[in-house]
Amino acid sequence: MRLVLEGFTKRFGDTTVIDALDLTVADGEMIALLGPSGCGKSTTLFAIAGLHQVDEGRILFGNRDVAHVSPQERNVGIVFQNYALYPHMTVAQNIAFPLRVRGERVVEMDRKVREIAGLVQIGELLERKPAQLSGGQQQRVALARALVRKPDVLLLDEPLANLDAKLRMEMRSEIRRVQLETGITAILVTHDQVEAMSICDRIALMKDGGIVQIAEPAEMYINPMDRYVASFLGNPPIAFLDAMADEELRLAGGASLGAAGRLQGLDRLVLGVRPEHYGPGKGVPLEGVVVMLETHGREDLFEVELAGCGRLRAILPAGSGTRIGTNVNWGIDMDHIFVFSPDGRRL
Amino acid sequence: MQKYRGHHVRHWPLIAVLVALSAPLVVMYVYQIIDTVTTTPAGSIIPDGLTLHHWRFLTGPLSDGGPTIWSLAGNTLVFASCTALVVTSVSLTAAYALSRLNMPGRGFFLGGLIVLHAFPTVTLIVAVFLILQYMGLYDTLTGVILVKVAFELPFGIWIMKGFYDSVPWEIEMAGVTDGADRFTVWRLLVLPQVQPGLAALLIFSFLSGWSEFILPLVLAPANAPQVLATYLAGIIADDRFADFSLFKAVSIFYALPVLVIYLIFQKKLMNIYGGGTKG
Amino acid sequence: MRQDRIGFLFLTPALIAVVIFYLLPVVMTAVFAFTNMSTATGIRGGGYLVTEQTLRDLSGHGLTGATLSQLADAGYEVDTEGLAALAATFGDRLAGHIEAELGGESFATSRELERALRDLRAPELRITRDRKQAASLFQRSVLNIRHDTADALRDELTGAGIPGGDHDMIIEAAYTGWSWTMRNFELLLSLPSTARYALNTLIYVALTLVLFNVGLGLLLAIATFYLPKPSAAVFRAIWFMPRILPPVLYVLMWKWLMWDNGFLASALAPFGVERINWMLHSEYHAWVAIILINGVVGASFGMIIFASAIKAIPQTLLMAAEVDGATRWQQVRYVILPQMRWPILFVTAYQTLSLLASFEYILLSTGGGPGSATEVWAMAAFRTALNNYGGNLQYGMGATFALVLVIIGTVLSLLYLRFFNFQALLAKPRIER
Repeated sequence: MRLVLEGFTKRFGDTTVIDALDLTVADGEMIALLGPSGCGKSTTLFAIAGLHQVDEGRILFGNRDVAHVSPQERNVGIVFQNYALYPHMTVAQNIAFPLRVRGERVVEMDRKVREIAGLVQIGELLERKPAQLSGGQQQRVALARALVRKPDVLLLDEPLANLDAKLRMEMRSEIRRVQLETGITAILVTHDQVEAMSICDRIALMKDGGIVQIAEPAEMYINPMDRYVASFLGNPPIAFLDAMADEELRLAGGASLGAAGRLQGLDRLVLGVRPEHYGPGKGVPLEGVVVMLETHGREDLFEVELAGCGRLRAILPAGSGTRIGTNVNWGIDMDHIFVFSPDGRRL
Repeated sequence: MQKYRGHHVRHWPLIAVLVALSAPLVVMYVYQIIDTVTTTPAGSIIPDGLTLHHWRFLTGPLSDGGPTIWSLAGNTLVFASCTALVVTSVSLTAAYALSRLNMPGRGFFLGGLIVLHAFPTVTLIVAVFLILQYMGLYDTLTGVILVKVAFELPFGIWIMKGFYDSVPWEIEMAGVTDGADRFTVWRLLVLPQVQPGLAALLIFSFLSGWSEFILPLVLAPANAPQVLATYLAGIIADDRFADFSLFKAVSIFYALPVLVIYLIFQKKLMNIYGGGTKG
Repeated sequence: MRQDRIGFLFLTPALIAVVIFYLLPVVMTAVFAFTNMSTATGIRGGGYLVTEQTLRDLSGHGLTGATLSQLADAGYEVDTEGLAALAATFGDRLAGHIEAELGGESFATSRELERALRDLRAPELRITRDRKQAASLFQRSVLNIRHDTADALRDELTGAGIPGGDHDMIIEAAYTGWSWTMRNFELLLSLPSTARYALNTLIYVALTLVLFNVGLGLLLAIATFYLPKPSAAVFRAIWFMPRILPPVLYVLMWKWLMWDNGFLASALAPFGVERINWMLHSEYHAWVAIILINGVVGASFGMIIFASAIKAIPQTLLMAAEVDGATRWQQVRYVILPQMRWPILFVTAYQTLSLLASFEYILLSTGGGPGSATEVWAMAAFRTALNNYGGNLQYGMGATFALVLVIIGTVLSLLYLRFFNFQALLAKPRIER
């Protein structure tokens, strides 16, 4: 079902935490609300669930405005970071709870519970209590409970944050598989860019209660709207250098990066260079010295201090033999750099 | 992690200080028990014989024409149980409302709760005495129970609120989005999580009712609904017979439920006896 | 159902209890403090009754002898009531006769009525003594007749021919119920015992609090913290017991310890120490006794609070201190005690309030004695209003005593609000609808 937020505004007391937010999620789409803590992503999620009151604006499920409908009547499924399983109930009772409060018949409930348990692969755990399950299993139960009532929207609030790295990868693809199989509209709230990029159709990157950019993950990475977006996505992160442009584009230290072109005359600029676009044999060479080296196994991550104008990161296949202190003359791939104004706008 | 206790420091000086401080209490506890089954010559502190004579009250009246210990124990049991049940059930709902429900005036009620929690209730006893007279509940067990319940309530609500506060919000959020109304959420999802608190409050308010002295003394002084505390205080204050061994046996009988319950539920009660200071 | 409705529904029983047993009593304490309510006046407004005592009081207040005798003797009236009484004594015949001849007539004095009776020449009344007796049956007096309202009494007084100018004075004196007065406060300020109670309370609260609730409580908490688990548990149990034992039993143990043929006396006798009642021998003994008895209970409260506060100190902090070379005393001084500031404040604030009002252990042990050496304010209120040996319970005066505590208690518990992180308490419920 299509989900639309129109001019959604949320205040806590006198502070407006979300100001006139617009968002459209297509039927069957999975979208990520990505942002640092405090950016309003969970607040938005809770408003969609009906747990928070909507101060202004509309929330449309299909064509129905649910902005002032109670959570009980909204038909959303929600999965929390801490799973929020009912500890005193078995797995089967947990999953059946949404059906039970709707007064469904026992036979029907039983059938639906088994069906959904099969989908999330916990069929053999139905008689256990939550305390007897691993984190991953608990998350599967929570997913099953959210899905069993065939919700209009599936809401996922940092569902992977409590899992260890390995389980996180596994559950990440599980959530995506189940979402695709059921064709449900889903919203994933997360502060982890990898999570958002790997399983969502689109990402809405949020900051200070508003959406900065909505795009498909690859598009957002390649074409960030501003410095904030560029710095949020990418691991290892993008590096920034101060620059200026007369006829030529120059770094703060004076080194030239070639003709300034359309930037000519701007005397304060910030260049964004991703690690994969800086290294030996690329673009314009610059003198620098390696100041840090992290061994990642397959790759090595370098930090290079450029003469008098800041640091860049480079990521190279392992075994280059370059060490800390080595003088290097690596270059920047000028076709892939981002140019920002001092206030962060993309130029 | 091994708990840190300053392992390489000698303990005996500390223990010596504590033993010296605790000695009078220990003497009282020990004699409280042995005096009930022994005879001691006047003016001595060393018992010279065993006897069950001090326990004769178990089978007969405590004093001539007085009530039997069993009827007193019965009254006390009724008083304590009713207090416990009512305090717990009223606290159970009120604390949930204050802990979790979004309603107008919640801040005011919370402030009021803290003020009442600290307020010395005994100061109200003169007015309460007169109010019970006006209500026609003076000198009835019902009246004393009502007052006791009211005086225990701020504490009970405070304790229960602490337990509700520790139930994860997500449980309720999940319940609400699962389609359950707040009453159902409370009954089916939250209540099971606060059962330890419920049990602890039940036990605590029972013990509190069982030990209560001032309220029955003032509000129900007649003989009919007398409880163990007032009766025992009465015969001890009565100069005509100062039989400490008998008093001790009666008070052991009186304190036995308290001790047994305490030993069984020690862990559960410890926090509550601290005054419920989690907030 | 909407959550605010459920909320109010869930709160209602508690609110009713609070209104009836907290708000109402607070207000009523203030109200009663301005009355002279006592056992004598009753608690439900009174009636109007002129008694012999009233007459004596009135004669002291300048009422004329004539009026007084009129009150006592308000003339003679031949009415059905008198006739019925006469019929019982002298028979129906005479009653009928008198009714026919004199029915409804009034006589100012006995002599006049006797003369009228003699004129009847009835055989039953041939002797003067009988006539006197018969006449007395018709005597009407204002005395010892209860009237529900002042107007009823006024009518009666008018009927008895008492001068209107005296009515108000008589009505006031005849009122048996309670009335509004400022006298309690005047008494409170003028009686020397008031200052004594206040001073006693101050000493009692301060000494118990500082020496035991905080001092000993802290000592016990820190000492048991450093002991190995088993011995710590033993000492905690010993000191926790007074808190859970019923007060009556707890005080009984102390009495046994300190009574004149109790443990102390008996144990010290072989050393030539005179057998005395260690609890009541002198004011000094009584004070030590009540502070010990209350203090030990208070110390266990302090111990519990402080012990859990010490437990909350991160263990690594103490380990770091140890590695840094701090002695045990330095650890206590520089690591533990600084963390105890809030618990100490809490114990002080909370226990000040409960000690101020508590008199249970004093009542059970010294009973305020010897004399009123250990009588504290709360106990004075209790005794005056609810438990004095004289039998006349002075509710109004007791309420005045209590009112002082109620005011102090209210102010202090409002201050106590500040000890809580109230903003955090007020955190909005996360489910808004």
